[in-house]
Amino acid sequence: MKSFALVNPTTLDGALEALRAAMDRRGRSKAALLAGGQDLLTELKEHLSEPEVVVNLKGVPGLDAILVEGDLLRMGALATLSAIEGHPAILERAPALAQAAASVASPQIRSVGTLGGNLCQRPRCWYYRLEEAKCIKKGGAECFSYSGRNKYNAIFGGGPSYIVHPSDLATALVALDASVVVLTQKGLQTTPIERFYTLPSEGSILKETILKPDEILVEVQVPLDALARASAWSKFKERASYDWALASVCASVEKDAGKVNRARIALGGVAPIPWRVPAAEALLVGKALDEATIAAACEEALRGAEPLSENGYKIPLAKGLLTRVLRGLA
Amino acid sequence: MSALPPFPGAGYPDASLLAPAQDVGAKQKRTRKVKSTKVVDGIEQEVEIEVEDSGGPEWGPRESLKVLDKELQRVDGPVKVSGRATYTHDVRVPGMAWARLLLAPVASLKVARLDFSACKAVKGYLGHEVIEAEETRWLGQPIAAVAAETSEAAEDCLRAIVFEWEARPSVLDREAALKPDAPQVSRRGNQGKPAVRGDEAKARAAIEGAPHKVSATYVVPVVHHACLETHGAVVDWRGGEEAVVHCSSQHTFGFAGDAAEVLGLKKGNVVGLVEHMGGGFGSKFGFGQEGEAAARLSKALRRPVHLMLTRKDEFRMAGNRSGSHIEASAGMDAAGRLVGFAARAHKHGGIGDGSLSGLPYIYKCAESWSEISGVRTNLDASRAMRAPGHPQASFATESLIDELAYAAGLDLLEVRKANLDDQVWHRQLERVAREVGWFEHPHRARPGSAKDELCVGIGFAISRWGGGGGPSCEVEVAIERDGSVVSSVGSQDLGTGVRTYVAAIPAEELGLPLSAVVARIGSTRLGNANGSGGSVTTASLAPAVKHAAWNARQAFAEVLAPLLGCQPPDVVFADGAVQAASGGRKLSWKQACAALPEAGLRAKGAWQAHLQANGVHGAQAAKVEVDTLTGRVRVLHMACMQDVGLCLNRAATRSQINGGMVQALGYALFEERVVDAALGIQLNPCFEDYKLPHSLEIPKMTVVLDDEDRRAPIGMSEAPIVPGGAAIANAIHNACGARIRSLPCTPDKVLAALGKVS
Amino acid sequence: MSGHDARPEPDAHDSASTTAGVGAQLSPSRRDLMRTSASAAAAGLVAPAVLGSHAAHSSQSTAPSSETLSGEIEIELSINGAKQRLKVEPRTTLLDALRNRANPPLTGSKLVCDRGNCGACSMIVGGKLVYGCLQLAVDARGKEVRTVEGLQRGDELSAVQRAFCEKDASMCGFCTPGFVMAITHCLENHPKADLERIKAACAGNLCRCGTQPHVFEAALSVAKGGAQ
Repeated sequence: MKSFALVNPTTLDGALEALRAAMDRRGRSKAALLAGGQDLLTELKEHLSEPEVVVNLKGVPGLDAILVEGDLLRMGALATLSAIEGHPAILERAPALAQAAASVASPQIRSVGTLGGNLCQRPRCWYYRLEEAKCIKKGGAECFSYSGRNKYNAIFGGGPSYIVHPSDLATALVALDASVVVLTQKGLQTTPIERFYTLPSEGSILKETILKPDEILVEVQVPLDALARASAWSKFKERASYDWALASVCASVEKDAGKVNRARIALGGVAPIPWRVPAAEALLVGKALDEATIAAACEEALRGAEPLSENGYKIPLAKGLLTRVLRGLA
Repeated sequence: MSALPPFPGAGYPDASLLAPAQDVGAKQKRTRKVKSTKVVDGIEQEVEIEVEDSGGPEWGPRESLKVLDKELQRVDGPVKVSGRATYTHDVRVPGMAWARLLLAPVASLKVARLDFSACKAVKGYLGHEVIEAEETRWLGQPIAAVAAETSEAAEDCLRAIVFEWEARPSVLDREAALKPDAPQVSRRGNQGKPAVRGDEAKARAAIEGAPHKVSATYVVPVVHHACLETHGAVVDWRGGEEAVVHCSSQHTFGFAGDAAEVLGLKKGNVVGLVEHMGGGFGSKFGFGQEGEAAARLSKALRRPVHLMLTRKDEFRMAGNRSGSHIEASAGMDAAGRLVGFAARAHKHGGIGDGSLSGLPYIYKCAESWSEISGVRTNLDASRAMRAPGHPQASFATESLIDELAYAAGLDLLEVRKANLDDQVWHRQLERVAREVGWFEHPHRARPGSAKDELCVGIGFAISRWGGGGGPSCEVEVAIERDGSVVSSVGSQDLGTGVRTYVAAIPAEELGLPLSAVVARIGSTRLGNANGSGGSVTTASLAPAVKHAAWNARQAFAEVLAPLLGCQPPDVVFADGAVQAASGGRKLSWKQACAALPEAGLRAKGAWQAHLQANGVHGAQAAKVEVDTLTGRVRVLHMACMQDVGLCLNRAATRSQINGGMVQALGYALFEERVVDAALGIQLNPCFEDYKLPHSLEIPKMTVVLDDEDRRAPIGMSEAPIVPGGAAIANAIHNACGARIRSLPCTPDKVLAALGKVS
Repeated sequence: MSGHDARPEPDAHDSASTTAGVGAQLSPSRRDLMRTSASAAAAGLVAPAVLGSHAAHSSQSTAPSSETLSGEIEIELSINGAKQRLKVEPRTTLLDALRNRANPPLTGSKLVCDRGNCGACSMIVGGKLVYGCLQLAVDARGKEVRTVEGLQRGDELSAVQRAFCEKDASMCGFCTPGFVMAITHCLENHPKADLERIKAACAGNLCRCGTQPHVFEAALSVAKGGAQ
C-alpha cells in the first residue's frame, strides 16, 4: 500500500467536503472512500489505486442502520452484509436479499463488509487485479480477457471490457427493484439501481457505476412488496466455501390463482452489470410455473448470449440455476 | 533444481559432536545389506545399501506398546494453538531490517534500466542488492532486493526502484514450446532427452491384438505447493564471526552452509534454526535466492534481515509441481488383464525437467512402452512435491484402467485386482470399497446416466511409495538427576509429528508417559539429521531415536542394577518406575534418576536398518455427487487404507492421510497454475484465484490404518496424496459418464463432458 | 446523472411502529439521521435540512469534525484486555501493527495471503470475526482486539485450544491460530453449534495440510461439552 492520509469525518458533510477537497482542477480525485475496506484494501495492496487521501465513512453515525418503514426497507450504506443476512424482516420479506448477502465471500468479510462497499466494489477479473496487466479497465488499450483466459468473464453486454460485475447484492437488488440514494455535492439523489450500473460501452470504461468521485452512496431502498416476499436467490460458486459467482440468479415471482402476475429476474456473474432479463420475465406472465414454462423462460433468459472462448459453460449453468430457482418459486 | 539432497554420508556420525558425560554409543559392529529409498530428481528409487547394525533395540510386540501405536497428542500442540510457536516468519530480533524482492514481472526480459536512486530518498531505506542486472528467463526471477526499517518502508523502496525492461520472446505452455520455431528456453533446447522404457513395437502389437482398446490423452496441470508460510529467512548477523539463520526449511542442516558462504563465515559458526515451519511439501530444501538475498543484505548492512516472500512472489518463484501430458494407449483382455500399454509423455516443469513416475504406474502389464521427456518453458523450475511424479502417473493410469474396464464391461474393483499381484492392495481396495458403499452401488461396470440431475459415483485408485530411511541422524537422549529426559536431534518438524515421536520413542523405551520426555529439534546445534522429503524422515530418524533411547536405558540399567540387586538386563522400566524383573525394591523414576552422577546420563543413537522398513501401499475410494444441471462436483466421502509399518502416532498418521486426501481433492477439483502466454504472466498468483479446498469442500473422511502390516516404521506421507485425484475423476465418470481427462475437474469441464456446452 | 426517482416520504409515525423489534438495537440518533436524510431526498431539496445543518455547523469552524491522520502516529489499542500505545501509519494494517509494531510483537496471527483469502490472521475485533490483514490499525481504536494469544488464562488453554490439541487439529500449525479464532467466535455465539454451522464458521479459513476433519471434530467436541 502506498502511504495515504486518512480522513475520519463524523458527518456526511465532512465526508463530502473531504472528497471535494481531493478533486484536482481537471476533475480527477486523489481520494478513495473507505467503508468496510474489504475491497478497497485489496486494491490498495495491489497498487491498482494509490489515493493520497482515504475518506473513512465508519465514523459517520447512523450509516449502518437497517430500517423497515411500512413497505419500504431502508439500508444505510454501511450496513454490514452479516447484518443484512440475519435481519429478521429481510429474511421474511425479501428473502433473496438475505440469501444473497449470506452467499458473499466468507464470515470474516461479511462481518465488516458493507452494503455500499459490496455495490461499489471493483471487478475481480484477474487481468484487472494484476498490476502488471495494464488492461482497458486500468487505462490500457485492450481487454486481455477477450483473446486470453476468459473462463470467468462476461457472456452478455461485453465490449470493450468483458468483466462481470462481482456484486451479489447488486444482482439481488436489481431483481428486487431497489433504488440507491446518492449524496452528491448538491444533495441527495435517488436512482433505480438498474440505472446505477453502466455497461462498458455506455459509461466510463474506468468505472462501473454512475457514482462520481465526489459522491457517496448513502442508502439503498427496497420495496417490500409481494414480489420481494416471493424472491429467491441462487449463486453458483466454483468453490462452495468462498468464491465469486460463476453465475447467479435472483428471481421474484408474484402469482395470482396459480398464474404469474409479475416477475423480475436478474442474472449475476454473466455481464458487466447485473443482467436483468425482461423477455424471460414477460414470458412467465400469465402462465403457471410448470416445467415447460420454466424451460422456455430459461431459453429466453440466455438468448443472445455471446460466450468467449472459455466461458460457454455459463449458458447451461445459468439455465440450470434459473430452472432450480423458478421451480422453487412454483 | 534438484529435488532432494542426497543422504548425508553413511556410517556412524562423528561422536565428538555430542560430548557425552557417559558415552554409551554402539559397541557391537556388524554390517548387513538392506533395501532403502533414495530420491533422485524427484523420483524415488529402491537401492541396496550396506549398513552398520549394532543389534540390540527392537520395537517389540505391538500389544506390549504403551505409547507408540497409540493416539498421541502432539507435543507442540499447545504452542501451536496459542500462537506461541515461533516460525521464521515470526522471528523478531533487535535492529531487524525488512526486505523485499523485485521479481521479473514477465516470463523473459532484458533489463534496460535498473535505478535505485529514488529508493535512497525513501524514509527508512537501508540498502539494496542487485541479483540479476542483465536478463531473465523465467517469470518471477528475482532482479533485486531492498531493505528498510519497516515492512511498509520496504514496500515503498521496492516501488521506488526504476525498473525498465524489454520483453524477450518466451514460451509458457507445452504447445508453444514444441513448435519448430519456438523461442529457446535454454541452450539445451525446449525438450529434454526422452527416457524410453520397453519395446514400442511389441507394446503396440499387444494393444492391437487386445479385444478392448482405449487411446486417450491425460493432462495434469502445474500446481503449487502453496505452503502457508512463504519461503524466506531471517539472517541474524550483526558483524563478528558468528551468525544465526532462521529459515523456513525442510532441511535444517541444508542452509547454514549457504548462508555462511554468503556472509563469508565459517560454516561451523553459522547456526541454522527451524523451530517450527509452516509447510513445505517438497518446495523448501535449499536456502533459495530469497535466503541468499537476505544474507547479502545482512552482510552489507551488518544488521539482521527479515525476508519472507509475499504470497504473489511465492506463487511465481517458490515452487510448483510439474504438469504432465500423457498420450496413452492400452489394451485389455476379456479377463480384465492389461496386455499392452504405450505412452508418450511430456513433463512440464518450467525451466526444470519435471518428474513423472514410471508408466503404467503400479499395474503390471505384459508389454509396456513409455517415452518420457521434459518440455521446458519460461516458468520457474518445478520442485519435488509430495510424491513427485506419482499423482500425474496415477491419474493417467487409473483413468485408463477405468476406461478399459467399462469397454470390457468389467467391475472396476475386480479389474484392478486382476492387474495386481500384491495381495496387500487387494485387501486395501476391498476395504475402502466397503467403506464407501461400493458393494451396494448400482454402477460397478458401467457409468450412471446423466439423465438424473444428481448422480452419485465411486472411483478407485492406489498408491505406493518407498519410505525407507538411511543413516544420517545423530540423536542424543539425556537423563538428568532431576528425572527430566531430553531427546535431541537437529531434525525439523514440517507438521508431520516428528517432534512428538522424538519424545514418544524414548518414553516407550524408558517406561514413561509421553509428557515426561522433552523433544528438542530444529537446530544445527543438535545432532545431524537429513532433510525431510520423500517420506524418508521417519525411517531415518525413528530408528536412531530408538537406538539412543535403548542405549540410554542400557546405561541406566548398569547404574541401577546394583541398587535393585539384579543384573542390568533384568532391570525393568515400566509405568514410570524401575524394578528388577524378579520383583523386590521398586524405585520411582525420580528416585532412580537421583542415582545418576551429577552430569546425568547421555546416550547417542544412530540409524539401525532393522528398525525401519521400506515400501508402503495405499488404496483410496472416492464417492462423489455430480449435479448434471450445473456441473458441480461434490465429494461426499473419501476413504483411504494405508500401511505404514509400525505406527508411531496414530493420530498424527491419520492427520497425514487426511491431509493427503484433502490435497488430492484440491488438485482433482480446483488447482491449476493459469498463465497468459501472450502476456507472459501468471493470472492466479493469489489464494483468491488459485483455489484450494476450504471447509465446505471437505467430505466425510475415513482413514483405515492397515494393521496387518507388522513391519517396522516406514515413511508414509507421500502415498496418500497420490490416488485421490484419479479416484475423484473416476468417480465423476462413474456417476454420470462425464470422462474428464484434464485436471482439475471444474464445472465447465463437467458440463462440456456431458455435451451441454455448444 | 439521470433518473432520479424520489420515493414517497414514509410516514414517520408509521415507520416508528414498523421498525419496533427490527431496528430496536439501533440508537435513536442513528435512526434519526437515516430518516432525516431520506426525508430530505424525498422532499427533493437541493440542500436538505440535515445537510444544511451540518454545513452550517462546519462553516463555523474551519476544521469540521473530521480527523486527519498522516505520517507516523501514535494510537492506543486495547489488545487482549490490555491497553497499549503503538506507532503506526494510517496504512498500517491491524495485523501488521500487532505483528511488527506491538511490544512484545504478537505474532500468533499469521500473514499468509495478505488479501483476505485465507483466514490465518483471523481475530475478533469489537466482537466481530475479521481478517486482520484487511483492517486498518487506526480503525481498531476504541474496540477490543482479541487475538489467539489472549485466549488462554495463565497457562491454561481455552476449551477450544484444548480440543484442538486432543483431536490433533494442527499439523504445520500455521493456519491454526486463525482456525482457533474462527471456531472460538462461532462457539461463543453458538455454544451448541452443529457440524454445518461449524463448517460455515470456518469457510473463510484455509489449511494446506488438511487438518479440517480434525478441526471439525475438535469444535464438535467442545459444542458437545467434551472439552469443557
